[in-house]
Amino acid sequence: MSPTRPILLAGLAFVLSIPAVEAGPVYVASQGAGALTRIEAGAGVVAASVAVGQGIAQVAAGPDGRLYLTQPDHAGIDVVDGRTNAVLRRLPFQGQAFGIVASADGASLFVGDWAGGRLVRVSAGTGAVEGSCAVGRDPAGLVLDRKGRLYVADRESRQVSVIDTARMERLATVPVGEGPFALGLNPRQDRLYVANVRSGDLSVIETGTMAVIATVKVGGMPYGVATSADGGLVLVTNQQAGTVVVIDAASLDLKATIPVGRYPEGIAVDGVSAYVANWFSDSVSVIDLRSLTETARIPVAEGPRSLVVGAVSEAVR
Amino acid sequence: MRLALPPALLAPLAATLLLSTTALAHGPTPQKVDQSVTIAAKPDAVWAVVGDFAGMSNWHPDVAKSVGTGGNASGGRRTLTLKNGGTLDEGLDEWDAGKRSYSYRLGDADLKALPVSSYSATLTVSPDGEGSKVEWLGRFYRGDTGNEPPEELSDAAGKEAMNRYFDNGLKGLKARVEGKAKQ
Repeated sequence: MSPTRPILLAGLAFVLSIPAVEAGPVYVASQGAGALTRIEAGAGVVAASVAVGQGIAQVAAGPDGRLYLTQPDHAGIDVVDGRTNAVLRRLPFQGQAFGIVASADGASLFVGDWAGGRLVRVSAGTGAVEGSCAVGRDPAGLVLDRKGRLYVADRESRQVSVIDTARMERLATVPVGEGPFALGLNPRQDRLYVANVRSGDLSVIETGTMAVIATVKVGGMPYGVATSADGGLVLVTNQQAGTVVVIDAASLDLKATIPVGRYPEGIAVDGVSAYVANWFSDSVSVIDLRSLTETARIPVAEGPRSLVVGAVSEAVR
Repeated sequence: MRLALPPALLAPLAATLLLSTTALAHGPTPQKVDQSVTIAAKPDAVWAVVGDFAGMSNWHPDVAKSVGTGGNASGGRRTLTLKNGGTLDEGLDEWDAGKRSYSYRLGDADLKALPVSSYSATLTVSPDGEGSKVEWLGRFYRGDTGNEPPEELSDAAGKEAMNRYFDNGLKGLKARVEGKAKQ
């Protein structure tokens, strides 16, 4: 992965690179409609919509322009070629695939098995199992750092599991709030933000010590989290209130509350914009991170939950 | 034990766990419920009835008994005993008299009350011409969140039950506020 080709993903947020953010296309997975929608950075319209299959939950982007979508109710992972909008195949997955992230080289996928309480490493080409390890109950959001360390939000175990992906071993568990769902790693990767759906707050983990150093009250149901490209802002969707809460990363003070659509869930940062999947409203809100205002609301297929910023177009040509 | 079983055996097992512990809050496929009704009364008059979080038995025909603690504020709770014998324990997240709106969520599931494992919902009263519109919408998960749910705990069963429950409630509210006999 070249440092000039950042992939920023949130909801299951992970941030691979900091400098010279070159915005890539945003992909939105609509679970109800089973469609994957592409929005070009800076554009307020839908560039393409791909019928993948009803039930797609979370989406991950590979470095080669491929998109991977979990199918928790259909024991599989759907693969889409972002360059051609073609649905390539459904990889088999023994379990209830939910959270997903691709390895830096794109050869492997890390997949959370919701019902099985496992993290599974599979081949991105064939779906063959390459390894697995136990995590907590109902693993939700995943995030992979640049060193190959992976964090899992164990929703029903009130903890984050920390995995060494080279050995597929759990290194630690970090107790957090109730109902941790989404994870966001800052660009320096020294802070992991955990959105706790049931306790309505955000746990801040110092990754160097694996300690929770602060808990920030958000209210309602925080369902997605991401950071701005410079790491200065933490953005949290509050599903109950229909807002994005903006927190100053240094002081952890509330900086703004931005109304978006109903039941916002996943949030991803792409350059100077944040994109928010409004699950109930079937739309994506675009937030300008300089003015902290919603600048567009783009209609998409029914039930958008997860979104990811794909490789920049140069990388996929 | 669950890890050692093939998926086909997990669904009934998960259902059993849900029925016995009702603590597995959440699955991977949320569903929408979205109901509304117009009422020939001013929004304030409608809010006076529906805005009392603990007073649901005053207007919802499916609710036999409603007991609250903590009042109309974030953190308030209500325990609803339904006429079907089930119980719903719900917590208030936000309550805003200015917007005439409140948001709440289910605590522990009771599949006898509603065949769903978790939900959150928002009820809002807004002006509509000379009268009011009440919108009640929510997000829920089916009763069995495993891969192969039995029919009575499927997405379809959850949708039917939640839509019926919301629809019955709004009809009851309309009848109550417009002065017609309560069921």
